[in-house]
Amino acid sequence: MSPNDLSLPAPRRDLRLPFGAALAVAACLAPLFLGNYALHAIIIALIFLLPAHGLNLLVGYTGLLSLAQAAFFGIGAYTSGLMAVRFGTPFYLNFLAAGLLAAAIALPLGIPALRLRATSFVMCTLGFVIIGQAIAKNWISLTRGDMGLSGIPKPYFALGPASFTISGTTSFYYLVLVIAVMATLAAYLIVRSAAGRNMVAIRENETLAESVGIPTWRYKLVVFMISAAFAGLGGSVYAHYLTVVSPLTFQMYYSTTMLIIVLGGGAGTISGVVFGSLLFVGLSEALRVAPEVRMIAYGFCLLALVFWFPKGFAPLIDRFWSFLRERK
Amino acid sequence: MVSAIFEQIVNGIVSGSVYAIVAVGMTMIFGVLRAINFAHGEYYMLGTFGAWFAIEYFDLPYPVAIVIGVVATAVIAVVVGQFVMQRIVGAPPETGVLATLGIALVLQNTVILVFGGGYKFFSGGYIEPVSIFGFTLAEQRVLIIIVCILVFVGLELMVTYSRMGKAMRAVSQNIECCAVVGIDVPQVALRTFILGACLAALSGVLTAPVNVSVYGGMGEIITFKTLPVIIMGGLGNVRGTFFAAMILGIAESLVATYVGLQFRDTVGFATLMLVLMWRPHGLFSAQARF
Amino acid sequence: MTGLPILEISGLHKSYGAVRAVDDVSLHVNRGEICGLIGPNGSGKSTFFDCATGLSKPNAGAVKLDGQDITGWSLNRIAREGRMLRSFQKTVVFSALDVEENLVIAGQMFTFPDLWSTFGIGAMARARVEALRERAREFIKIAGLWDVRHQPAGKLSGGQQKLIQFASMLMPEPKLILLDEPMAGINPKLIERVVESIRFANEKFGVSFLVIEHNIDVVTDICERIVVLDQGRKLAEGTPDEIVRNPAVREAYLGG
Repeated sequence: MSPNDLSLPAPRRDLRLPFGAALAVAACLAPLFLGNYALHAIIIALIFLLPAHGLNLLVGYTGLLSLAQAAFFGIGAYTSGLMAVRFGTPFYLNFLAAGLLAAAIALPLGIPALRLRATSFVMCTLGFVIIGQAIAKNWISLTRGDMGLSGIPKPYFALGPASFTISGTTSFYYLVLVIAVMATLAAYLIVRSAAGRNMVAIRENETLAESVGIPTWRYKLVVFMISAAFAGLGGSVYAHYLTVVSPLTFQMYYSTTMLIIVLGGGAGTISGVVFGSLLFVGLSEALRVAPEVRMIAYGFCLLALVFWFPKGFAPLIDRFWSFLRERK
Repeated sequence: MVSAIFEQIVNGIVSGSVYAIVAVGMTMIFGVLRAINFAHGEYYMLGTFGAWFAIEYFDLPYPVAIVIGVVATAVIAVVVGQFVMQRIVGAPPETGVLATLGIALVLQNTVILVFGGGYKFFSGGYIEPVSIFGFTLAEQRVLIIIVCILVFVGLELMVTYSRMGKAMRAVSQNIECCAVVGIDVPQVALRTFILGACLAALSGVLTAPVNVSVYGGMGEIITFKTLPVIIMGGLGNVRGTFFAAMILGIAESLVATYVGLQFRDTVGFATLMLVLMWRPHGLFSAQARF
Repeated sequence: MTGLPILEISGLHKSYGAVRAVDDVSLHVNRGEICGLIGPNGSGKSTFFDCATGLSKPNAGAVKLDGQDITGWSLNRIAREGRMLRSFQKTVVFSALDVEENLVIAGQMFTFPDLWSTFGIGAMARARVEALRERAREFIKIAGLWDVRHQPAGKLSGGQQKLIQFASMLMPEPKLILLDEPMAGINPKLIERVVESIRFANEKFGVSFLVIEHNIDVVTDICERIVVLDQGRKLAEGTPDEIVRNPAVREAYLGG
């Protein structure tokens, strides 16, 4: 640093804004260049982004490892699907109801579970998924059991007299894009708020956090509910995209995938999660990797992340951002 | 009516024995590694597949297949233990959870990839019925109960008298001290892990003739059922695990008959949640023995 | 100034199984006072602290803060609503966060009225955090940590962490601070610095202190009154002079 730098910062070309703009344009124009299948891959990735953001708030920011994301994802999917099939309600209502119900169910589950210590908590959250699946299979009058719900309509909006349906892949892509951007923004605002700072404090040292007046337990419960809401919203979009829901939505597969997205992309960063979901879900979907091969790859990814890359891709992304910022 | 209930209880004891043999390995691994092995059911599956492979492709007799299943699992356990489990020693709890989840994914899906995901017929075993105390039971079921008793007696003796058993107890009580007095902690961890995996495999091979079918995803269900058992038994507690496994087995069997078959697989986790909320240290003592 | 003590603890009991860690101890801290709590190792000082601050639950006894009964309150509630802050024997900071963030977090729950408002993103919430940041910067300057304010707290020296911890406790305008061995394991130069900080907070902000400390010179220097614990019981209480001359105290310390 030369002495001159101390008085006034030298004019720098901050490339973050142009990069963001380019990304936004690319996202908007993607359907023009990409085939239906690639678009489908991105849609799946963007849907998974929602529960992943929720999980990131829990694992990355508050430091609570949870496998329950699939349970809330499933609850969201069933809520949305049932409302659409039984009552024919418009998409936005189903969507909101899915998020709210997931959060509401997370409350009674979280109260006892969050009193447990790390490993027991993980197992308890695993139990939610298993019991969720059992309920979906056995409450046949409501869920139609193993047959699942089919014929869930593509999202349609009804505002006053006007109504329109989103049916094609391209229009669905835009819908999911809007939702994903909003979810990302919401996650960003949460972590940037005072609450976000408190969450990090709980992750770093719970007793110290308590001693500066942070009600750690209540924060954990609220974050658990928020993360469930994110998963529920994701499940709702998933149900309307696939138009079917089955008890298999309550599967460890989904929890594992969301964990990989968060840990691989970089727990505790928002951009990492976006990157992670495009990479781990989008790419593997686009390459039409067989599910077994994908799970094997996920398994090795988990091992690599735990032992060698505890921060996932976050350091790389960080370097990229600072490269954009500090380039002269 | 009474004899019907009695029959269900005996059936429950059989499946309880199966869970007990799997769970005791998992609980011992927890005692030493302080980590829940989320891949434990996969060794059960590997043992079964090893035996199935030996019978299906080489037409070997069932007793030989048992040995092959267990040995094959041991070989895999050596590799996993060396490269993964030893690294978990002393790591934060999340490390163990994530690493063993990773192992579970790799093992399970590799088997599905190689052998296909469908159900396979397991043809070995002693399925002739025998008559004991007035009611009939397949020989294989009797064998399972006998092996379970032998395993637990053997483990009790080993833990109390052998060098290895003493080392295991020492490690589970205080890792730092062990390093000081010259116990090779990673070595103890590795051997405990291999022993646990072999027991799971043994349980798998013994159960296969009863279940008749084998498939790649079978390990996951066993893991899910074993988790409640080891928690209820009080993590690291061998005797507690035995009783918890029996309780789960009998409860499942009764629920399957009198409530509905579809609820059988939920019994474990439902009780687990209740136990966790009511007595977070398990039903049998808070003190982790072993 | 009223004559009412800021902290009044009466008949505190805490046992672990058959061990009576704290046995019927009563103690008060007057407004604006620096009170010392000394005693040999294992005399129950830290247990007493934990019970008084809500980290563990006492078996019996009452804790009154500023006339309000706070017995059974949790650690976070005592800190937040009672403005009674405590330090830990082992210096702890939020290691991954920078110094400024450490101080901002320490003040947040005192600026925001409740949990929900901390999720706020509006101008009000931002103004609150900005005010905290200003205050944090002031303390950082006073503590001489300005140059390292954007470094992760965990990377700093033990002494610097100690200063961060102390500054964190001053963020919420506390009524009373409980220090658990603030001088343990630090060099003489830093001891002086910590003593200065305690005096500064006491004189400038009127903060009362209850200090557990082994360093007798420091305790007799800064405290107006000293309470001695031995084997879970209160052994003596008085001015530094009285305590130093008390034969029972000497015996407890020198072993008898």
